[in-house]
Amino acid sequence: MRYTLHVNGRPHEVEAAPEAPLLSVLRDELGLTGAHYGCGQGVCGACTVLVGGKAVPSCTMRVAEAAGREIVTIEGLPPAEGRLHPVQAAFVREDAMQCGYCTPGMIVASVALLSHSPHPDEEEIRDALVPHLCRCGTYGRAIRAVQAAAREMATREEGAA
Amino acid sequence: MSDHPTPPRAGSWPRPQATPRIESLLRIESDGTVVALSGKVEYGQGIRTGFRRIVAETLDLPLDQVRVVLGETASTPWDMGTFGSMSTMTDGRALRAAAWFARQQLLVRAAARFGVAIEALSFGAGQVFAPDGRAVSFAELVRDQPLAGDLPEAPPRAAPPATDSPMRQEAMDIVTGRAKYAIDVRLPGMLHGSILHPPTLGARLESLDPAAAEKVRGVVQVVRDGDFVGVVAERALLARTAAALLKATWTAGAPRSGGQDIVLESDPEAEEAFRGAARVLKAEYFVPHVSNASLGPSAGTADVRPDGADLYTATQRPFPLRDEVAQTLGVPKEKVRVWPQLVGGSYGKNGAHDAALAAVRLSKAVGRPVQVAWSRAEEFRANTHRPELRGELEAGLDGDGRLSAWRYHSWTNPHTYGEAGRMPERLIVATSGRGAVPEYRLGKADIQLHLRPGKVRTGALRSLAAAPNTFAIESFIDELAEAAGTDPIDFRLAHLDDERLRGVLRAARELSGWDARPPEPGRALGVACAAYHGTYVAEVVEARARAGGRVRVGRVWCAVDAGHLVHPDGARNQVEGAVTQALSWALFESLAHEDGRVLASSFADYPIATARDAPEAIEVTFIGRDEVPPTGVGEPGAVPFAAALANAVYRACGVRVRELPLRT
Repeated sequence: MRYTLHVNGRPHEVEAAPEAPLLSVLRDELGLTGAHYGCGQGVCGACTVLVGGKAVPSCTMRVAEAAGREIVTIEGLPPAEGRLHPVQAAFVREDAMQCGYCTPGMIVASVALLSHSPHPDEEEIRDALVPHLCRCGTYGRAIRAVQAAAREMATREEGAA
Repeated sequence: MSDHPTPPRAGSWPRPQATPRIESLLRIESDGTVVALSGKVEYGQGIRTGFRRIVAETLDLPLDQVRVVLGETASTPWDMGTFGSMSTMTDGRALRAAAWFARQQLLVRAAARFGVAIEALSFGAGQVFAPDGRAVSFAELVRDQPLAGDLPEAPPRAAPPATDSPMRQEAMDIVTGRAKYAIDVRLPGMLHGSILHPPTLGARLESLDPAAAEKVRGVVQVVRDGDFVGVVAERALLARTAAALLKATWTAGAPRSGGQDIVLESDPEAEEAFRGAARVLKAEYFVPHVSNASLGPSAGTADVRPDGADLYTATQRPFPLRDEVAQTLGVPKEKVRVWPQLVGGSYGKNGAHDAALAAVRLSKAVGRPVQVAWSRAEEFRANTHRPELRGELEAGLDGDGRLSAWRYHSWTNPHTYGEAGRMPERLIVATSGRGAVPEYRLGKADIQLHLRPGKVRTGALRSLAAAPNTFAIESFIDELAEAAGTDPIDFRLAHLDDERLRGVLRAARELSGWDARPPEPGRALGVACAAYHGTYVAEVVEARARAGGRVRVGRVWCAVDAGHLVHPDGARNQVEGAVTQALSWALFESLAHEDGRVLASSFADYPIATARDAPEAIEVTFIGRDEVPPTGVGEPGAVPFAAALANAVYRACGVRVRELPLRT
């Protein structure tokens, strides 16, 4: 089957079986390897992408479901190429990573969290990160990074207003 | 960050590797970049950043003028492997010596060029300056004559202690998704392979019907070589689908038996000391099999040609892997090149090279590059797991509440490659015996190690036997402190001579406000400590617990003495991570198995700690002195955690937990 996938603001024509996981298409057809395979069962969060603004595991979403919807991967987070999203910048500043395999998923999920809840408390952040397993144990730093990003985004917002 | 074979004795650690000549460790390129070479590999523990800093600091260079090449067998010096939290201690030291030597050579050459005394020269930003302002770049100084020569030991650092922490080199790639892991390797013409794993350890292939698999469109070949079976296909999913269609029958392997019993300490007066003790306590502790559960499953890509091979994989031992592949293919070692890739978590498992070796066999069979990437289910079922450990403890206290007799018999499996019954004794002691002999004055001691085959495939996990042994011993120490009517920290200090271990205990006491926070019902602090490969750590854990209820971890305080700190925030990150991983082992993990078969195939069957379970806060303080050479920080933080938590749980609710995962 042919599908049109809208990924990171651009349409892509892909040939895939309807039941093919979105993750495989992103990685193997579009060369976007920032979403990682961790479990293939939607329980580890390493493959998380935004679909219609919502953080979803791309390993259990079928390509047929994703077609026609707005998909954003870690590679396409705003603002643009060469510049970091405040959440990415905060993960770097807090060194909220070790092996880094789970990090893109955590960042994407945090971007989704902050878009609907710009001032989350620690509990809310923990809840948002629960689907994201980190074996290296960087949860504490990830929580701090999301808090820092929220502050940073709030400051920018004020500056813009 | 993790581990396998090494040190000569429990409690000691190896000398830095011989580092004969600068050519193998450091060179200056024509654009002035200083290239530092080490056979170690990076898997999130931050050694690339640490090594870069060591070299930059010694040569007064900005960090971005140093490039670190790790583990590439074609260019870096031979190395046994990256484990045991030793990279900074060995290679960090060697690179420091190389950079120091380079500095001396550059000074000598600049002095000759300018016709001034060495003492009059100054260094900065990749140049050497004469007093009159003339300057010459490093590149210019080595253009006609590259650095060469035997390396003397470098003098101790004169630089002030590191206080800032440069960004990890890989950070930008990681947060933008550009970082390439072993599974992300793409070679022209690459195919994908999937393996048929024997259902149980040692099972032999009896028959194979590949017909259904071969019919799958996109399957290139079903490869059978003895008991090894794999499918090569155009795409990864096809290979996996086809492998599931293989019809195989297996004969169970012979039951594994045999073992080795090793006496670590045997005081002839131990029995008498027990008889004479005012009080004798006895307890048995148990730690189950746990999985490495790295987030990134094993993956390897091989390009085997008639004259040699290139191998791209996550590995903690690139050189032994190279040698093994060369032997398999029957080609000289130099014809095989291993290119270590970013690792999606390691903690010991990437010493086993199953995926990479399978890729080699498949690539050889089909004559094209092949990638083998395991599924999560394969990762649980076929990878190595931490051994079980049963610790039988008995101790005698004299009339003053001091230890007078000690017995520890530990029953466990190989914590590294090898089979119980056929391993060198030294290797067993250094791996399965790690942490079995504590630093305390024990009185008359009888300490034995009983190695038996595991019920599942066993191997290395962060700190090897040190974490399980320390859970047993440090929990029992609290039982003894209570029997002696002494505060747990006071009891430890009363039996310790080692000043550095005493130092971290005292620091943890102060940091946590131990004396001001006595146990209250449902909430208490617990303590434990460990010495590990030259690093000392004491942890105080706050637990909220009630009998029969859930255990929650509040705050955690860690005092660490790892000598001089190369990269303070990187070290802190490692200790925090070690604590969090150890929390996961202690509260949640036990690998279910039956008749040699692992039952877990998913994180749904094998939960690990999430962001919800992570401690409220982890406060890490480093108290090492700057003139003491750096030691490792990847593993030690994981070693005392379970005991500190169990001790806190006991003080909070009166339930003494002697088996993990922890239940009240």
